[in-house]
Amino acid sequence: MAVDVDKCTGCQACVLACQVENNIPLNTQDRFERNRSIAWIRVERYWEGEFPDIKARFIPIMCQHCENAPCEPVCPVFATYHNAEGMNIQVYNRCVGTRYCANGCPYIVRFFNYWEPVWPESLRNHLNPDVTIRSRGIMEKCSFCVHRIRRGVRKADSEGRPLNDGEITTACQDSCSTDALVFGDLNDPNSKVSEMKKSDRYYTLLHHLGTNPNVFYLAKIDEDREVAHASHESEGGDGHE
Amino acid sequence: MKLTRREFLALSGKATAGAVIFAACGIPESELIIQSPVELPEDLVRGEDAWFATINPDGRNGDGLIVRVMQGRAKKIAGNVDHPVNMGGHGLGDDAELQMLYHPDRLAGPLFRRTHGGVLAQTPWAQAENLLAQAVDTSSITVVTNPLRGHLGWVASRFAEVKGGRYLAFDPMEQGVLHGAVKTIFDADVLPDFDIANAHTVLSFGADWLGSWISPVRHTVQYGKLRDGDERGYMIHGESRMSMTAAAADLWLPTRPGTEGDVALAIAHVIIDEGLASDSEINAFTSVLPPGILNAYRPEAVAAKSGVPEEKIIRAGRRFGSSRPSVAFGGGSAGAHVHGTFALSAIYALNTLVSAVGSTGGVTLNPTSPVAGLSGSSTGASFQEWEEELAQWRAGNVETVVIRGVDLVHGMPDSVDIVGALRSVPNVVVFGTVMDDTMAEATLALPEKSFLEDWGTDIPEPAPGYQTVGFQQPVVGPTITANETSLISDARGFGDELLRLAGADIGAGSMRELVERTARELFDEGRASGSVVAPNENLFRTGALQRGGWWDTSATAPSTSFNFPNFIRGKTEAEFSSTSNLGAGIDLTLVPFVSNSLDTGRLSPTPWAQQTPDPMSSATWALWAELNKEDAKSIEVGEGDIIFIKSSVGEIEAIAYPHPGVPPGTVGVPVGYGKTEGGRWAEGRGENVLSILADHKDEETGALAWAATSVRIQKTGRRLKLPKFEGTVEAFPIEPGVPVLVVAPGETAHEAEEANHHEYQKLFESDETRREIGRDSKGDPISGSEAHE
Repeated sequence: MAVDVDKCTGCQACVLACQVENNIPLNTQDRFERNRSIAWIRVERYWEGEFPDIKARFIPIMCQHCENAPCEPVCPVFATYHNAEGMNIQVYNRCVGTRYCANGCPYIVRFFNYWEPVWPESLRNHLNPDVTIRSRGIMEKCSFCVHRIRRGVRKADSEGRPLNDGEITTACQDSCSTDALVFGDLNDPNSKVSEMKKSDRYYTLLHHLGTNPNVFYLAKIDEDREVAHASHESEGGDGHE
Repeated sequence: MKLTRREFLALSGKATAGAVIFAACGIPESELIIQSPVELPEDLVRGEDAWFATINPDGRNGDGLIVRVMQGRAKKIAGNVDHPVNMGGHGLGDDAELQMLYHPDRLAGPLFRRTHGGVLAQTPWAQAENLLAQAVDTSSITVVTNPLRGHLGWVASRFAEVKGGRYLAFDPMEQGVLHGAVKTIFDADVLPDFDIANAHTVLSFGADWLGSWISPVRHTVQYGKLRDGDERGYMIHGESRMSMTAAAADLWLPTRPGTEGDVALAIAHVIIDEGLASDSEINAFTSVLPPGILNAYRPEAVAAKSGVPEEKIIRAGRRFGSSRPSVAFGGGSAGAHVHGTFALSAIYALNTLVSAVGSTGGVTLNPTSPVAGLSGSSTGASFQEWEEELAQWRAGNVETVVIRGVDLVHGMPDSVDIVGALRSVPNVVVFGTVMDDTMAEATLALPEKSFLEDWGTDIPEPAPGYQTVGFQQPVVGPTITANETSLISDARGFGDELLRLAGADIGAGSMRELVERTARELFDEGRASGSVVAPNENLFRTGALQRGGWWDTSATAPSTSFNFPNFIRGKTEAEFSSTSNLGAGIDLTLVPFVSNSLDTGRLSPTPWAQQTPDPMSSATWALWAELNKEDAKSIEVGEGDIIFIKSSVGEIEAIAYPHPGVPPGTVGVPVGYGKTEGGRWAEGRGENVLSILADHKDEETGALAWAATSVRIQKTGRRLKLPKFEGTVEAFPIEPGVPVLVVAPGETAHEAEEANHHEYQKLFESDETRREIGRDSKGDPISGSEAHE
């Protein structure tokens, strides 16, 4: 998945779309007060500078589906593992709730169900039948909308054709009106995500940790930055002192 | 075999030892790869889903939606990629609508208040129908809705007409000034479209067009395209609040409230002074203005008045004038002043300086409605008209008021005493889904269908530059309760009820009939060459319903020349309410803003809207007030302190949230909280900022100047933890101070990372900065007492 930070407005539509799609428990007030809200994708907001030259920066963060995922080897029951498609999978009915994976994840994108999820009876009508409701005591996180992938693959198979790029979309991507989020197959050199990966603005989060994420980012563009960059060069610094 | 715990542990130990030995024997690595043999529930594809197209006439611009339905239940709402307004995008409000449909506190059936001061009690529909028929059989009736452009609004208006009454629309964040300014400058009756996607420079004022202003999903889609391609568009935004739109801007002009028009004219001054426009463009802009009047708007003078640094005004002017195509627009708080029409006219007039009208990347004037009888434009009645109307209610001159789609009690300032006015009306009939503050004052409360259960049409405003009609159809039927004994809500359509009551007077029997008639008329007029090409009426109607509407890209507005009049007239200065006799504290200008998730309170009943973090503060579930850090410090207020916000009209309490993006002298408070009613998740949550607005009005239109209230801020001495997302997870900076990687145009991410690292290393060059960041000269954390020197 590619995230073009330059297009993100911080609108939170992806956050809610993910909640709806994946039957994430209601984040009630007390959950926020205890820092126990669950958001498989979140939008972080950072301040940069001082008024009146202040900038607000937004960045959506979800499970990075790392190739070298720190969460995988620490799970004593193999509830989380890497599948052949490059996704970090969470097997809910194996999870025994040690939370080692959450401790190991540097991106803090794994969430523990401290309580049994509760919906008033009438609201259960909108639950997505494709997605398991997780019970108390187990871990959950972004699945790249794996149920949508399964549906897409099944449909293409039944029609006897290969999957087309862009045919499978995640819920967060669907809700992103600016197209800041793009899901696709990095093994397909002609896919949109593969094209985006060639951008000069390509980077990954915490790359120095060597987790090798399957989610990558395109940096925010800011014309005001020219000044700082030019002054750095004028000092003759190369960043390798 | 039954194992004792000791036996189990012994066996487990042997198994572990076996595994170690096994692994040490040099087994090929591939055999040790752990692959789950489990087929997850998510691996199973169960059930067929169906997607239906519809529109939400109460939504932000009748955006085209598609709804996923499985086994008769709506599961997900998404944007309709076919629809020309939102082009597949959808906002978070659209998702939250699902919870309005299945809300546990949806009105189950009609409620009737038998005696004055009595309680609302359940009554069967048969009796409710009789009561309704008696109530509307009067010569003094007023029908009130939210601003509607489609057939629902038409039915409400016609119903009032045939009953000899009045029809009024209400919008707490009035757009009357916007419509007035568009009429003044472009001589247009409907709002134009702004070609943000193809502009090189976008200049906006006051309107949070990425968050809540008129057509935010369309704007957001276009914003994505603005940032696309080799020539990334530039965005300048002037607003007295750091909104989502201000945050997205490349250049934010933090205007003092009420100075947006001045800054627009200062930008015009820069363009003219530096010759960035042609003679004909300059002549078109200045010929109607009194000679020399622009000298009053020199950048240095406006900088002092507006608080925007002169350098930024000049930079904005140069960019807007030279990097074309450029487009300018404004609204929201920029027009919500006593001189609102002047301010917005000055902003829209800038388009003539850059020849933006009718150009790609500029302003596209919209055609009139393609459907006979539908205007394609709507705005709430002005606050002045509302004051006059409520005087009639209080005087006992109105016997019946029929209301739907608006919460008048929550939406109006306390100065008009709306509750008192409602209680003076003998029959108050309110249609709605979940109990709200207005329904609580009703004599007859009637459950209304959700838009997902009903028929209708909408003419989007602004249209996408050509004639468009959205078609609404029921995507689900009534939902039964879990025990299968009744419906969640025995609801009826507002339009259908009015049509039934009117009999033959309106000329239609149901909303469905009106939808079908619209399709037939379009077909008969030979319009089956637009988005739906069909050989007969039936296929045309079906096609329009399948696509969520009909549009014709060739049906654009005729190109006309227009000359606007002198708009620098009347009031050109802001005026604010008084704060005298309000006790101790500091005086700030109140900047109310529409909540990104709750709207103006329409979606407050849903937990999804309540729990979604505000983009700037990340606050959820509670009312907060955004304060400038220095202002907050001056009264010793920090985050979590509860403050009084007092105006000449009343006072509310909010949890303080100082942040560095708040302009000094302002306090931003979201609209949508403070409902007394509203179901289990909304009632009693926070207080209502609309209630303390002063009754200042725009001089030209009579619209409420909702950004012209001064308030006094006092500390209550009480504290509450602000429920917010910020702090839920630890921030993880790439380098300290650089949490989001930013590049200059042409700079690579790698270069930026290197440069950031270089900047970071400088922090270790002085003892002082090292102490500040708690690191030693090698960059390692300082431990123990050294860190606290």
